[in-house]
Amino acid sequence: MKLYITENTKRNDKTVAVDDTILVEGMPSTAGSKMLGEFKPLFDAEVISRLYNTGFSITGKSNVGEFGLDLLGETSNYGVCLNADGTLAGAAAAIVANGDAEYALSVDLNGTPRRAATLQNVCFIKPTYGTVSRHGVIPCACSAEQIGVMAKTSVKAAELLSIIAGHDKKDGTSLPQMKYDYTAADNATGIRIGIPTEYIEKAEQTVSEKVYRFADVMKADGATVEEFSLSELSFVQAAWQILLCAETCNNLSRYDGVKFGYRGNNSKDIGELYTSSRTEAFGLNAKFAILYGSYVLSKGHYESCYDKALRIRRVLRNKLDGIFSQFDLIIAPACSKLAYSPSDVVNSLEACYNESYFTALSNISGIPIVVCGGVQLMGDSFSENKLLTAATVYERTEVGK
Amino acid sequence: MKEEMLKGLEKINQLSLTQEERRIVLDFFAFLAGEEEALESCNTDNVERMVHLIPLKNVLREDVSLKTFSQDSLLAGAPKHTDGYWQVPRVVD
Repeated sequence: MKLYITENTKRNDKTVAVDDTILVEGMPSTAGSKMLGEFKPLFDAEVISRLYNTGFSITGKSNVGEFGLDLLGETSNYGVCLNADGTLAGAAAAIVANGDAEYALSVDLNGTPRRAATLQNVCFIKPTYGTVSRHGVIPCACSAEQIGVMAKTSVKAAELLSIIAGHDKKDGTSLPQMKYDYTAADNATGIRIGIPTEYIEKAEQTVSEKVYRFADVMKADGATVEEFSLSELSFVQAAWQILLCAETCNNLSRYDGVKFGYRGNNSKDIGELYTSSRTEAFGLNAKFAILYGSYVLSKGHYESCYDKALRIRRVLRNKLDGIFSQFDLIIAPACSKLAYSPSDVVNSLEACYNESYFTALSNISGIPIVVCGGVQLMGDSFSENKLLTAATVYERTEVGK
Repeated sequence: MKEEMLKGLEKINQLSLTQEERRIVLDFFAFLAGEEEALESCNTDNVERMVHLIPLKNVLREDVSLKTFSQDSLLAGAPKHTDGYWQVPRVVD
């Protein structure tokens, strides 16, 4: 079980594990890929600078699936992390759960940190897109990926998020607000909660029980809960798959074996060097994303796939505007079940796609998420405080945190 | 998706799949073709594309030089370099 790709022995009492997709100067940053196996960045990501400036130390680079294209780390070039019972762990969440680091920074590209936090029963906040700088994140799908924070409680996760959030002039997609105040209210009185029935129908009973248990705690604290239909979920994951792969295809085109990263051996000419480097270094999920991405961007399929998906993104955003005028937050499963074995990811492509049913809506729309108590709470952009209120109430009630 | 078309995609993306990888990828392309049909159920007539999630436009910075990296530090990450240049195999005959 390789929780860290690089572990740091110099630590103080304010510790953060950092996904290996985030650059830390002087530490190898591989994004879980053979392509970047020898890569050492020349600068820190903005979030790392902010952590250092406030006295935090980095415990190491947590193991990740290749470029974030994974279910729970199974596509990492450094092997998958397993729990003691042989189920898939998710490295960053496991590090926080076992107490080796107080916090972890994880990049939510396709829902992996949310699944991991659910299974390890820790809290994860993926803030509104644009609130945390992506400067120094190894990019894959830039229009959606977002750094989030894991911790044992929502209050602690919010504390660290307050430190790393805020405008960064080095990131062209960074929102102008300089600081954000992530504080929870004392109780859930008046909070209007919705539960999309389609999510419940797709999840195993053990998962849906957690959703209803969370809802019961909210009701007991003064919230209202109502189930509703979100029929758009029937096409969200297909639209997101198209955008994810199209952007990944472009971002992974930079890896050619010339300026940095892995180089294939014994190439006769430059074309052979490009092909051997990429073929030998990329795993199958990355190769598929590149191929499908170029397919949906090609002349014959651009309008029916890529262009259509971008229009669907607006349809979904408009739909969410309507939903969040009716509800303050949505409670939903973050994954279909509460444990995954290695046999579940023998076909990782299919497994990742199927599970994206639960996570794609947030990725495609940029809305914030808080994972707590084995469920995910979704809210409108900049509604993190309401999500944190619900999480805090649940933690206080259920686990006395 | 036919195998020949997939080979074409491989070529333009500088990839060369094994036959086993090709089989898996073709199967998943076929699966996603069915999923793409679900997109048709969403009416996007007169709906504008949403490329960016946030309403930022033309994000520019002051035209001043910032921290740069030395030639040596940049070359240090290259698989091969010589005399201050990245080294590659023959480009033209």
